[in-house]
Amino acid sequence: MSWTCPRRTTLLLLFTLAAACGSARRGEPIIGEKRVPDDTIAVGQQVFDRNCAQCHPGGERGLGVALNDKPLPAWYIRFQIRNGLGAMPSFSSEQISGGELKAVARYVVWLRDQGD
Amino acid sequence: MTIPAEGICQSSRAARRPARDGRHQPGERRVFRRATTLMAPVILGVALSGCFTLLPSRGGGQTRFVAPRTIHVADIALPAGYRIEPAATGLDLPTGVAFDEQGRPYVTEAGYSYGGVFTTPRLLRVQPDGTTAVIAAGSDPPWNGVTFSGGAFYIAAAGHREGGRVVRVGMDGTISPLIDGLPSLGDHHTNGPVIGPDGWLYFGQGTATNAGVVGVDNFRFGWVPRHPGFHDIPCRDVKLAGKNFTTPNPLTPDEGDRAVTGAYVPFGTATRARQTIPGEIPCSGAILRIRPEGGEAEVVAWGLRNPFGLAWSPAGELYVTENAYDVRGSRPVWGTGDVLWKIEPGRWYGWPDYHAGRLLGDADWYRAPGAEAPGYLLAEHPGIPPQPAAVLGVHSSSNGLDISRSAVFGHVGEAFIAQFGDMAPGVGKTLAPVGYKVVRVHPETGVIHDFAVNRGGRNGPASWLESGGLERPVAARFSPDGSALYVVDFGVMTIGEQGPEPRLGTGVLWKITRDGGGAP
Repeated sequence: MSWTCPRRTTLLLLFTLAAACGSARRGEPIIGEKRVPDDTIAVGQQVFDRNCAQCHPGGERGLGVALNDKPLPAWYIRFQIRNGLGAMPSFSSEQISGGELKAVARYVVWLRDQGD
Repeated sequence: MTIPAEGICQSSRAARRPARDGRHQPGERRVFRRATTLMAPVILGVALSGCFTLLPSRGGGQTRFVAPRTIHVADIALPAGYRIEPAATGLDLPTGVAFDEQGRPYVTEAGYSYGGVFTTPRLLRVQPDGTTAVIAAGSDPPWNGVTFSGGAFYIAAAGHREGGRVVRVGMDGTISPLIDGLPSLGDHHTNGPVIGPDGWLYFGQGTATNAGVVGVDNFRFGWVPRHPGFHDIPCRDVKLAGKNFTTPNPLTPDEGDRAVTGAYVPFGTATRARQTIPGEIPCSGAILRIRPEGGEAEVVAWGLRNPFGLAWSPAGELYVTENAYDVRGSRPVWGTGDVLWKIEPGRWYGWPDYHAGRLLGDADWYRAPGAEAPGYLLAEHPGIPPQPAAVLGVHSSSNGLDISRSAVFGHVGEAFIAQFGDMAPGVGKTLAPVGYKVVRVHPETGVIHDFAVNRGGRNGPASWLESGGLERPVAARFSPDGSALYVVDFGVMTIGEQGPEPRLGTGVLWKITRDGGGAP
């Protein structure tokens, strides 16, 4: 059986639905202490908490959707931060620089993986 | 369970392999497949981004509560090495905690809560066995906070009915006002207080309104019919942009009657461009200070919507939590997280035209779905606000805080903030409960860590989770030796169709200590 495109898209959406059934909680009291592995992700953590956490506290659902249970790739995270979508506003390069953008996308992916 | 992005990439690679019969896929199908692979996250993102408009509000108060409240410390999660225990239970609307010279804890009971519940504001001593003794009872609710210094308590007696006061309460229960007539007749009250390293008494004074304009939302709070002339007061002269808002007029029986209201004026009063509103002291939306023996108030900082929690760091810096805008009233403001500020004396912090150092003029950021962008109320801004120490969850109601000063407890210099939790949907929609926990914040980096939370796959108050954990933490204060963090839990407050529904007798004073583990 070959993996046809519609099937892959459907699978991705099914994965997302399945992942959404899992917990998005990544706080230290719940999963234990998780130290950020490098300086770039540490920068990403600061950028995230200053800009993103107010709507996605700890990457969980709040005003906005949860991030920790979505298999979004880093490139798409960067795209959505720059362009916004739906209720989410866009962040210009004056608000989040190019380096910070890469760092925060890496942090979001790293944070998500801490639940594994 | 989390599906890493790599899993999807592996599927793509599998699809690029030749078919079992040795034939390759036609070129156009490969292009289409790659496009679909790239578009899948976009489709997913679009679907997720549409959630906010489509999904209903699911705030933590939007639940049913069946008394009595149960207490199970095992339902609360803390970092390794810390433990929590109830120091007192069954409290009525508790709001603050302080300690006398012997280190004994005392709590204030507000005597009033959103939802129109009035009881008697009280100061209680918490005994080692968890029972309480009444030290003082007042008549000017809500009592929003307490501190102890020089053998006496100082309480923010917010005066929802008659105006705010700060009072001195002796150990014998004698109540003496230090200042009265504070502008606390509206949405927000007098908060704090704390004694500064300079010996002055610092306190917060909230604004009358959500975003500078008296509107129909303030009738729902109940205060406009009682005080129809009340409005926000700037600390210094401000020039208005002249923006007015047309609303129904609940002051008249004619349902078709309309009222036009501007900023910093009573309901039904229009303003004009470049009109000057004179500054007055005491003012609303400010940090003020007075001498502990009483006297005139001085402005420390202003332009703060509802500065609720105040704490001094070991380095002598004043930190304040600000409850940010709600999505309500004539000028709803969307998506504004509560703020932790390091206070610089004399600065203006941006209310009513900024949030967390960012102008509200950006409609992409602050326009509520289906509403107009908030725009500006002021023709000239009194300054450029500084950047915040941290930005906390939207509608988290980040309230009382303290700064750790003891290596015994750990995290010296970091802020521990009690998050009361959202009051959705009245303050705006949330997709999930926000707050209902204690967070630890590094004031230099702005990084936020959960510290005390309810266990489970989702965050929320115990009544929402049907557990025995935290409900609505409203204040956090370290013991005099810094070894224990006391957390005041206001108790159960559900949000019904008519608004907040606080439950008397469900408040708790929690005590958190560190009993081992590595050095945090």
